[in-house]
Parts: sequence; C-alpha cells; structure tokens
Amino acid sequence: MLEHTQYDFDAIVVGSGISGGWAAKELTEKGLNVLVLERGKPLQAGSGYLGEHAPPWKVPYQGKRPRELYEEEYPVQSKVWHSFNETSRQFWNNDKENPYATDEGKPFLWARADVVGGRSLIWGRQTYRFSEEDFRANAVDGHGIPWPITYDEIAPWYSYVEKFVGISGKSEGLSQLPDSEFQKPMPWFALEETIHGRLRKKAPDITLTSARVSILTEDLPGRKACHYCGPCYRGCSTGSYFSSQASTLPAATATGNMTLRANSVVERLEYDADSGKISRVHVIDTQTKERMAFSSRIVFLCASTVGSTQILMQSASDSFPDGLANSSGVLGKYMMDHTLGISGLGLFLDNMDSYYHGNRPAGLYIPRFRNVGAQDEDADFLRGYGYQTATLRQDWQTGFNTKGFGAGLKDKLRKPGPWIFALAGFSECLPRESNRMYLSKRQVDRFGMPLAAFDFEWSDNEINARKDATKQAQRILRAAGAVLALPGQEEMSVPGEGIHEMGTARMGDDPGKSILNKWNQAHDVPNLFVTDGSFMTSASCVNPSLTYMAFTARACDYAVRQLNEGLI
Amino acid sequence: MNRREFLQCAAILVSGSSAAQLGFSLNEEQKVYLATAPDFNTTPVNYFTPLQRKIIAAMVEVIIPRTDTPGAIDAGVPVFVELMASQWLNEEEAAIFNAGLADIEVRIPLAFGSPFHALVPEQQLEIMQALEDEASGSPWYDFGNIQRDFVSDAPFICQLKELTIWGFFTSREGGSQVLRYDPMPMYFDGNIPLKQNDSSWLTVL
Repeated sequence: MLEHTQYDFDAIVVGSGISGGWAAKELTEKGLNVLVLERGKPLQAGSGYLGEHAPPWKVPYQGKRPRELYEEEYPVQSKVWHSFNETSRQFWNNDKENPYATDEGKPFLWARADVVGGRSLIWGRQTYRFSEEDFRANAVDGHGIPWPITYDEIAPWYSYVEKFVGISGKSEGLSQLPDSEFQKPMPWFALEETIHGRLRKKAPDITLTSARVSILTEDLPGRKACHYCGPCYRGCSTGSYFSSQASTLPAATATGNMTLRANSVVERLEYDADSGKISRVHVIDTQTKERMAFSSRIVFLCASTVGSTQILMQSASDSFPDGLANSSGVLGKYMMDHTLGISGLGLFLDNMDSYYHGNRPAGLYIPRFRNVGAQDEDADFLRGYGYQTATLRQDWQTGFNTKGFGAGLKDKLRKPGPWIFALAGFSECLPRESNRMYLSKRQVDRFGMPLAAFDFEWSDNEINARKDATKQAQRILRAAGAVLALPGQEEMSVPGEGIHEMGTARMGDDPGKSILNKWNQAHDVPNLFVTDGSFMTSASCVNPSLTYMAFTARACDYAVRQLNEGLI
Repeated sequence: MNRREFLQCAAILVSGSSAAQLGFSLNEEQKVYLATAPDFNTTPVNYFTPLQRKIIAAMVEVIIPRTDTPGAIDAGVPVFVELMASQWLNEEEAAIFNAGLADIEVRIPLAFGSPFHALVPEQQLEIMQALEDEASGSPWYDFGNIQRDFVSDAPFICQLKELTIWGFFTSREGGSQVLRYDPMPMYFDGNIPLKQNDSSWLTVL
C-alpha cells in the first residue's frame, strides 16, 4: 500500500463544470488538497465573456450567423441555436478539432463546452427537484433498475446546494415537483396573468408557475441579482446565474486548496490490482501534447456523462477488460436524454396595450400533469412530461418578409405585434439497454484516443409521450384563450439535443447491474466516484443539473468520511 | 449595485487590458471583446463599383426611408449590404444578387432614361414594386420564414429586403433611435403601458 505522503493530491476532480465545480468546492472546503483537471481552455470569469453586453451592431454580420465557418468547424455545436453564436462561440467545442462518431442513420447531437467552467456557462439554468415518484418510477413500472436512494435521503442535499446556488421560483406544494429553497420569483407578463386566470377556470388540472431557474433575484455573497440584460449564454460577469465560474470555483479557490489545470485531457485512470484502487490519473496537455500523471487518494469523475464514460472505457486493463469498474457490463448502456421541442404555439390578442421593461431570462413552467400518482387510463405512454413556456411579443424579426416599402413598412416593422405564448414539452426517456455510447474501433482523435460513438433511438414511449404533449398543448392553448393555436413540430428532437445525456454508469444496489453504489462510488473501485449525469438511473422529465449537484455534494461528504475513517 | 455602478464596472471590464491579458489559446479573432469593437457596418469593404454603391443606397432607402427618424442610409445599411454581399452570401446567393444588381444597372437607364438612383421617388418605388410583384411567389414570403435560415434561392429583391431590414434594425441608429434599446434594464416589469406610437424593444439576439 502506498503511504499517505506519496500522493500528489488528496483528490483529483476531472471536469470543472456543474458537477466538477461542486466536487472542487466541497472537497477543498473539507480540507482536501485537490487537483481539478479540465480538458478545455482557460477562461477568466468576467473578462473572458467576450460577447457580454455587446449590442447587435458590434457583432459580426450584425448577428447573421457565419454559415460557412459553422458548417466547416461547428456543424454540431451550431445546431444549439438558442445559445451558440458569435457572442458565445469561444465557450464551445470545435467539432473539427474534437469530433465524435455516430452510427449510420442514427444521429446524435453531443453539445460540448471547451473551457474552464464547462457547460455551466451555457446551460439552460432551469432547476428542478426530482420527486419521490421519480425515484420510485423504475421500481414501479419495471424499466431500468430501482434507484438505490429515496427522495427523503436526497432532499436535505437538494436544500444544501439550493441555498448556495440561488434559485428563483414559486412554491406550489406539488408532489410531482417538490419545492426548492426559493428566492423570490421573477415578475410575470400581463398576458401570463391573463392566461393563468383562464387556466384556473378552464383547465384546473394545469399548474402554471414561474420557471425555477438558477438566476438570482436577490444578491448572494459575491454575486448580484439579475440585471435583465437578456442573453445569459454569453456569460455573466455579475455571477447572476449559477455557473462554476461564478460560484463553486471561486469558493474552492478561496480555500487555497485547489490547483486547476486547464488544457488537460485525461487519457486514462490507472488501476492498481494490488490495492484495488486507482493509483494514477494519466493526462495529456492539449497544447503541448506532453504526457504526465498525477496520483491521489480519491478520484471524482465529473467530466460530463459522455466524457466520464469515455474515460472509464479507455481505462480498460487486465483486471477490467471491458472498461474500468465495469464488471457488470452496463457501462455505456441505458443512456437517456429528454425529448424536447415546441409542442404548441398560441397567438394572443389580449393585453395588447401592455408592454414590458427588461429581458426576463426565463419563462414559466407547467409541471407534469400526466400519469401523476397513477397511470392515466387514456395515456398510451408511461411517465410524463412538463412544458417550459416562452412569452414574446412579435416584432420586426417575425415580420421582415412582409410586402411593401417605405414609411409604411418602416412604421409597421418598428411596432410590436401580437403576443405569442409557446409551450415546449420536455418528456421523460426510459432507460433502455440498446441506447448506448461506445468507443469507435476505427476512428481516433488528435491524441490517438478512440472517438466516442453513439447508438441511440427513441422508443414508442417517447414518441407517444411527445404526441400527447402536442395534443394537450392544443387543449391548454385553447383554454388559455389563444386566437390561433398552432401545433408544434412533428419530428422528434435529435437524441442528445436535450443536452441531458445521462445514465451510462448508473447507480444501483446490485453490483451485477450497476456501476455505482448509492454514494456514487464505483462498486468495483472504492476510491473512484462518478457524480455527473452518468450516474442517473432514470431521467424524470425535469432538467437534471440540480440533481447532479445534490448527489455530488452528498458523495463528497461520504468520500471524506470514508477517508477519515480509513476505509478508502 | 445600481445602474451607474454597473456601467462603471462594465467600462472597467471592457477597458482593454482584461481582453489583452486573455492570451491563452484563444485565436486572434476570438480575442476581440465585442462591446468595444467598432460597429460592424464600419468595416472597410470594396466590392461594389461606385455606380452600384449609388444604386444600392437608393434602393435600401426606398425600403426604409428617412422619416422623422433615421433611414437606411443614415444607419449604414448600404455598407452592411456590401459587406454581406461580398463576405456572407454563398456562391448561389451571390450569383442571384449580382445578376439582380446588374439587371438594375443595365435595364433601368434603358427603360427610364436615367440610372435608378437618379430617378424620382415615384419611379423608384414603381420599379421596386414591380420586382416584388414578380417575386411574390417565392417561399421567402411564406408565413414562418422567421430568420433562422436565409432562403438561398430567394430572388434579388427578397435578398435586398432581408439584408436591409436586418441591417437597419440591428444597426446603432435603427436599433436605438427607431426601435428602443436598453442594454442594462436592471429590473423586469411585465406590465407597463404601451402607447399607440411606441416602438418595440431591440431584442438582444
């Protein structure tokens, strides 16, 4: 056995995004000497946000997308139309430099950041708790394996991270969407109040509430309440939305216990068969191509679902020929993502003389109302979906293709048009063995490592849930008083487009069917923890990042207790 | 933090040193701190002939004229169009654009006795309307064509309208004097009165 003093660090955290930032904060605050490895480029909070607060007339092509460049170098990332453009491109992966593989006829969209802070800089910031029902779902309907943990066990950890994250929202007391520790909600548009009133009468089964978002409405230490400039994805130098750059990494830095190494891609984890633990983490510097290795007592993989799973697969050895910690054989399988897309779009002529001040960076939310408590008799799918909503006033951007010229056209285009209220459904995806990622046998990246490859298709359950979401959206929009209700797009989202890929190193009580135990610790390797989305045993229909944060904090607490008791 | 403090903070941030210190592995083009960059429509460009420049200026001004507020020429739209025609349109689109412009350049003096820019406003409008009538079957006019993609086979007049309207409302003059622009709203209120003559906000894209 190695002596305590022979380690380079107490802990190595791989990844600096949502999960890695939390692991860095928790472990350093508990006194551990921590190395954080990030494969992306260095980035300074604030001054590194090159597009922040730039008016459209400063942006190349005044905001028209440079199509040739995107097709050539960002064919995947540029499909994330809501947050990829010239004001944020520096945060994103260059697809030409870092490609991946897909099976023919089975597209997969892998959205990736390539900077310190990872996807916490560009995430959607929607923040919801999983419910008791979500944690029971697999056990009840037999899909996937049962979660090894109940809602009551994780609830205190939700509270713990929420107080630090800062979440604005409204308490509703719903069993299917437990309330968080909330800051005050953001105000509503008059039209939203109108719709709310109508739904209460005409669709009382529907709850319309503020989206729960990691965007401050009240100051927190070192971070300011939102100033409503609008495009969060450009980065926020006031730290008004939660990112590891604004929140967890500064906390870790403040302890003096963190070493952060950017441009550091993990090549593999070295497993020492004698001790039964990870002994070293092998790293390649992305700029110099120099190879190096670091040792530590524990390793936290927080490199994103695909990233962490890829590292485990690449770390195959004589002891684990099918991938590190993969004695169960489930590594890479049971991948999930949420299906998403516009389910319905309503045109409204109410509140036409009401306008707004400021750009609210979040819409409203309609929590799951299908199959709640018990299976609805008329539902041809299991589990459910929720809607994120968007309220906007039409303007010149939706009317530029109008006929006519001159002062009349100019005047028409400059004035607001009718209101639009849109519903975007996010549906749960069942865990299925055939939805998987693996390492390409033919293609390697610029470091000589096999490319991540995907083989993922939606099942009838996701397709039927999506159809139902479109149908129900029509009912809701009519009840809300839309003068025109358009159905959403028919096609399913591309797998991965939800940017909620998860489940490829799932947790469970049975080591024969899962990679991790209930503490995010590898069944096979006691000093290895995986706390990003890969641990997820089921997907719920709500955005998952908050759950990664809560499990990460809980795993750190457990790991340090185990270390202190000499058990790892 | 109030609005003034906020803008001071922003001014310090964008004062240049921070961006310059970035270094790292961002490439040169990525190191530009956009809020301190020159306006896009001041980028030097030399694609059109002097005559074409006059024609384009006159045409974009027919689409969005100066009224009691700035028009397309005031807002630098002619330069924007020249930049987009030279740098942004793909081969197919540029061919349509160049042919459309050449048509105006050659046909109008023959038909009207003067080049487009020298005609009286009524004649200019008549020509533009005729172009639009001819193009009216193009999918560019379809409901739902909302700016995400450029319609590559759209006729010249549609290309010109799109570039003009986009270039105008995202310009400094169009965005802040014709529309309303507030980079730092500080609070959100979802219910304030909209008066008959009020403009939309310039939504930050």
